[in-house]
Amino acid sequence: MSRTKSVLLRAAAGLAAASLVLSACSQQSNTGTDEDSGGGDNKPSSGYPEVENTDISEGKPGGTFRLGIVEPVAIDPYNAQESEGILVAAYLFTGLTHTTPDGETEPAVAESWESNEDCSEWTFNLKTGTKFHDGEEVTSASFKRGWERVVAKASASDVAYHFDQIEGYEELNGGTANALSGVDASDPAVLKVKLAKPSCEFYIRTAHTAFSPMPKAAGAAQNQKFNDQPIGNGPFMMDGPWQHDAGIKLKRFDDYGAADKAYLDAVEITILVGDETAQQKELDGLNNGQFDWARIPPNQLKTTREKYEAQDGWISKKTFGIDFLLVAATKAPMDDVKARKAVSMAIDRDAIINGVFDGSRAPATSFVPGGFKDAYQPDVCDACKYDPEKAKQLAKEAGLTEGTELNFQFNTGGGHEEWTAAVKQQLEKNLGLKVNYSGVEFSDMLENQQQPNSTGIYRLSWGADYATPGNFLQPLFSTEAIGTDDPNAPALGDNRGRYSNPEFDDLVDEATATKDEAERTDLYRQAEKIAIGDDLANIPMFERQQFRAFDSKKWANAGFMDFHENPPLNLIYQK
Amino acid sequence: MTTPPQSGHEPDTQVPAQALITQFEAPEPLVEETTEAPAIKGGRRRTGQIRDIWKRFRRNKLAVVGLAVVGFLMVIAILQPFISPYDPMEQNLLNTRKPPSGNHFFGTDILGRDMFSGILYGVKLAMIVGWSVMVLSLIVGVALGAIAGFRGKAVDSIIMRVTDIVLAFPSLIGAILVVQIFGNGIWQVIIALVLLSWPTAARLMRGSTLSLRESEYVEAARSIGASDTRIVTRHVLPNAIAPTLIYSFSHIGVAIVAMASLAFLGIGVPADIPEWGTMIADAVPSLNVEGESHMWIFPSLAIVVTTLAFAFVADGLRDSIDPKLR
Amino acid sequence: MGKFITRRLAHAVLVIVAATFLIYLGLFAIGDPFASSGEKTVPPEIQEALREKFGMDQPFFVQYLTYLQNMFTFDFGVDFEQRRDVADMLANAVPATARLALFAIAIEIIIGLTAGIIAAVSQYTFRDVLITVITTLGIGIPVFVVGIGLRAGLSGEWIFPAVPRSFTIEVPWYQEVILPAITLAIIDAAFIARLMRGSMLEVMRADYVRTARAKGLSERKVIGKHALRNSIIPVVTYTGVSLGVLLGGALITETIFEYQGVGYLLVRAISQQNAPVIVPIVVFAVLTFVALSTLVDILYAYLDPRIRLH
Repeated sequence: MSRTKSVLLRAAAGLAAASLVLSACSQQSNTGTDEDSGGGDNKPSSGYPEVENTDISEGKPGGTFRLGIVEPVAIDPYNAQESEGILVAAYLFTGLTHTTPDGETEPAVAESWESNEDCSEWTFNLKTGTKFHDGEEVTSASFKRGWERVVAKASASDVAYHFDQIEGYEELNGGTANALSGVDASDPAVLKVKLAKPSCEFYIRTAHTAFSPMPKAAGAAQNQKFNDQPIGNGPFMMDGPWQHDAGIKLKRFDDYGAADKAYLDAVEITILVGDETAQQKELDGLNNGQFDWARIPPNQLKTTREKYEAQDGWISKKTFGIDFLLVAATKAPMDDVKARKAVSMAIDRDAIINGVFDGSRAPATSFVPGGFKDAYQPDVCDACKYDPEKAKQLAKEAGLTEGTELNFQFNTGGGHEEWTAAVKQQLEKNLGLKVNYSGVEFSDMLENQQQPNSTGIYRLSWGADYATPGNFLQPLFSTEAIGTDDPNAPALGDNRGRYSNPEFDDLVDEATATKDEAERTDLYRQAEKIAIGDDLANIPMFERQQFRAFDSKKWANAGFMDFHENPPLNLIYQK
Repeated sequence: MTTPPQSGHEPDTQVPAQALITQFEAPEPLVEETTEAPAIKGGRRRTGQIRDIWKRFRRNKLAVVGLAVVGFLMVIAILQPFISPYDPMEQNLLNTRKPPSGNHFFGTDILGRDMFSGILYGVKLAMIVGWSVMVLSLIVGVALGAIAGFRGKAVDSIIMRVTDIVLAFPSLIGAILVVQIFGNGIWQVIIALVLLSWPTAARLMRGSTLSLRESEYVEAARSIGASDTRIVTRHVLPNAIAPTLIYSFSHIGVAIVAMASLAFLGIGVPADIPEWGTMIADAVPSLNVEGESHMWIFPSLAIVVTTLAFAFVADGLRDSIDPKLR
Repeated sequence: MGKFITRRLAHAVLVIVAATFLIYLGLFAIGDPFASSGEKTVPPEIQEALREKFGMDQPFFVQYLTYLQNMFTFDFGVDFEQRRDVADMLANAVPATARLALFAIAIEIIIGLTAGIIAAVSQYTFRDVLITVITTLGIGIPVFVVGIGLRAGLSGEWIFPAVPRSFTIEVPWYQEVILPAITLAIIDAAFIARLMRGSMLEVMRADYVRTARAKGLSERKVIGKHALRNSIIPVVTYTGVSLGVLLGGALITETIFEYQGVGYLLVRAISQQNAPVIVPIVVFAVLTFVALSTLVDILYAYLDPRIRLH
């Protein structure tokens, strides 16, 4: 999930700094709708309603489930990263723990786990007798092997950083050691892990596919044969190697032992060409019977919803992600909380959602997204409601006057042109700011954010790696995550807005040191209240909401997405 | 023919053998024909020559139509800010992908921008890029070609080897690479296209210069002690420039198509300005969606009309300047 | 003649060496492919490891020389994105593009020659004018406009497979190749028609054709036996040279029809800054281009001794 997929043909263009010539005068204002527009009244006020998850029922084995994805970067867990690669990896491999669609962590290969008082030493008790697809038994050594394979320097894995809490990570990743010293596999049924950076949430991390066990056959990470046809311990196994740019076939693993066996005989994954048109093809394929599951292109949400909702084949769910505006919180003009709230209240999120996204997102009123049932605090951001009058007043108090300059940068090529342009227009209209709006390459935007003299706001989004609200708070708001103590040095961490509040830091630290889940969640809620409710360190924009349609005549248990927004292949069965 | 044929029109398609050679070696046969009557001097005779060209040009109906269209496009490009019904960049997100109507003659695009205004803006962009590429590559090509042809020896070798290297890149691929290095922007695209088109101009120029250098009247000028600069500017340039000029003119259409191709591939042209290739790329997901075909049809028509107009004029120009090439 | 060939080959080698150097330099200038480009910053130590893995921590010249050396052994390394063997990726894409190119060439020769001959033998008639207008259109209309039009109008109809097609539904390769090949062929077909017309008119004015006519040979025989054979040479040469150029058109055509050949691979690699894929494709394009032009040059020198003197 850490890399954006490439963009061949542009997804969408938008208005930005006009480069060559200014257009002038004598022009009508391009507002209002055409008479033939079908009217705006049948659009939802903001976002589409969520659909409740259906109850999971039991079925009979059989059937081949078909869907389309774009070419993954990797399906071998050592480098699987975006949701397509993880779709395959997560069903080929089963880790110690597993994340449910609701973001709960449940046992998988690990039967149970416990930690010492300060959460620096973890013990995972493994189910015995579970097998890899080649018959090899899954033991604690398989996990140690898998983890070391990811972290090893020679692997140069993009996802190795997930292991950075474990003792010996730096040595192995830096090439000065050839084992993870903190991982003890001396007892085949028990995996012991020592953490250099203690965390009471470590067990949640182990659900990530990078933490998969590996059979002896895996060998080193760079192993084309295994990379294309991994041998895992998950509910499905490869049926022939990955045919690049064509497809991947999976079949059920009948000796699966870590959890219930899958019902489906097989899964046929067609690899679709062209990132931007892939959604359209998925939907076309579903409509003409080629596929059983599809994502929906934004311009067809309305019609697709009408069609599939009627047959219970419609999925609509807030998931684990957020779009927000990163704020340079230590530099004028945004160093004043009133200025940040004024900017936030001057943005009409509903109008943007309906206009740009066809109602396909939800306005964010918190930073921890709605996917986290317990931690979710809708309206914790009291300044996330559109109120131009109040915004003007706050702006005045904060010294944001007519013509105050505000830098606003977004990255090009990611389809963000349209909504950021709308934000710019609203800020100019409602606050009279002079918005210096520019689109640059993502890496350039990142570098600009890191600079000590960076000011203003930047477009950014964030998705969950692990199912903990802390994943949305610690990396983006904690003092530690700035990545430097020196205000004149670049901020190399993910908190590039340089927000720093000791009270918030203490709450987050306390949360990671708290073993009780409910207590921990409560601490996170308090922390979010400070960073977002009081200080509004970053400005929440939209909650990630996902839509899928599926063939409900053929399939049961398909009415929801797994944690990675993919179909729950291990549960689906033929009606 | 060093530019890929998909990028439009080439001037010398009807002299196949020579055309193929010009790419690799001095186009001697071509030049011999074109400069048979050199040393036209004096205002009166030159006016007469231009009148002759115009007479011949007028006879070519297609060329005249092309010229009228080119003129029309130039007027649009200049008047664009005043005749554009909407700001071509202004979005109306509540009114996207709408088919043509009284309010929006060409409908609206994925961002609800008025496509008619966008296409007018595209005309301006195309004219800026097309003419800039022509003028710049003409200047560079003529200067270097004349130097190479007149000086000969090492200078000639160096310049010709450089053109060899540039011409070794299929031009679209070359342009992509250059743009990758310089970054996105209209001027970057212009620079990339000039970098790739000057060598052909230079080679044509060198060829003309070479044959003229040995001609009698240059010898004569030299014998009365004229300086090199004077010989080149007063005697060689005016007579040798015709083939290069024709090439450069016909290259306007090529440059416009090249920019649109780059934009279509999402390379070089900033995503946020209305450009024909970008518009078509934006319409690709809508290709089979009913009621959205206006999104690719209008920009396609705009490109076709523009390139054809320039092609017709270039054809007519070549035929009337060099009747023998017909 | 031998001297000329030697000199010409030396040129070619020089050009190729310089061009590969420029390509490599250009990619070097594009920037760091491993800098963070996603929402989450890539930790510096991971970036460092990536650079080391791909040899990007070496000085430029070391990288360049290593690359040249590997190129001679067809060892292109692995790509940045998926870490697959680039040679493998090319092994899949090259035959697809070769098929497309051959198909396109066949189409352009058949259509181009026919149209050119008809235009020439019926010079100044309505037919001639019509063909001239059509060829002008053919040359003037950009490839991607043709492709988009064909895709919008025809894909999914009749024998043409829908452009998005499923992995499980087998499509005969020739069905898949027809529309892109037509797209790719149209412009060259128009060029060939013009070349053929011009060259044929020239030949028909030549003395030996007049003589043949004067001898009382039938018009069919005059054209078939004498004019045709002699006027086809430039067309053949042009087709040869245009092969290298086809790759440029293939970039666009393959992108439009999502045809998985070299062009598509290149466009995708460019958007990913995937240098290990970009370099061999561009180098290959340059090699083909230079090789063909050298060949044509030598051929012409053989046919026309005057050229050798230059």
